[in-house]
Amino acid sequence: MPLWLGMVPFAVAYAVTARAAGLSVLETQLMSVTVFAGASQFAAAGLFVSGANALGIIATTALLNARHVLYGLSLSRTLPLTRPQRVLAAQFLTDEAYGVAVVRGPQEPGGLSFAFLLGAELSLYFIWNLSTLVGALAGAVLPDPAALGVAVVFPLAFLGLLVPLLKDRLTVLVALASGLGAWGLSRVLPGGLVILLAGIGGALLGAFLSTRKQNTETPA
Amino acid sequence: MSVLLVIFLMWAVTYPVRWLGLSLGRLHLPPFWLSFLQFVPVSVFAALVLPEVLSSPEWPRRLVACVVGGLLMWRTGSLAPGILGGFAAYWGARLLGL
Repeated sequence: MPLWLGMVPFAVAYAVTARAAGLSVLETQLMSVTVFAGASQFAAAGLFVSGANALGIIATTALLNARHVLYGLSLSRTLPLTRPQRVLAAQFLTDEAYGVAVVRGPQEPGGLSFAFLLGAELSLYFIWNLSTLVGALAGAVLPDPAALGVAVVFPLAFLGLLVPLLKDRLTVLVALASGLGAWGLSRVLPGGLVILLAGIGGALLGAFLSTRKQNTETPA
Repeated sequence: MSVLLVIFLMWAVTYPVRWLGLSLGRLHLPPFWLSFLQFVPVSVFAALVLPEVLSSPEWPRRLVACVVGGLLMWRTGSLAPGILGGFAAYWGARLLGL
């Protein structure tokens, strides 16, 4: 439930940005129905606004959603799923659903179950799509989103995803390096490519520093 | 490329990744690549935020909005006050002529 409060403004903001980028209500909604990935939908909406090319948008989506491999890997270790269950659960898997499944699932009688996972996923899916629709329709009513300064909601929403991840000095360092790197690159390269390069570069830096740290902390 | 095709391809690069993870329960990735995947969100979100703030013609207002919004998110641990507070700060800065 508290997660809904985080999702609603995010979905509305996504929908308003997407509408401002010139997407129709149907297209805005279709992205929530099929892609169903807040961060990449937001990124795509932002990239549509800045006129980035299509391949950049798709590459950014692929990169942003690569983390879902981790969620799936982690879930499938505690929750064995049949093939049809995997096919279904995969469509609705998100950061939030993963978080709820991992934190609350074990507290359920009988532990984490497929029903619990799917229930968490579908409740988030429903709220996300409902909020998208509200935002898409409200976006059509707003006179000129650009004049209202709605564009600032885009970095704010990503900040909302970033802030909880800044747990230690290393994550702050990685965030600063990729953020500043992206700023530098954005002066010479198009948007989608900048995110891809800065994203890979920052994650490599983080992986390099954290594995080196582990190696020095736990000598063989 | 049409918007519908872009949306379809976005879905086509998202769904298989989710399915793959759920289907690879026993796979062991080397620690370096597990760590890489863990840092992808931090890195990508930061790369999305900073240029959007600093490269904008109205960067001082956006910077104020993000500092205020970021602090609120950090203190309250939730998104809504951060976005609303940040947006209010943006308008405050704008009305003050920043």
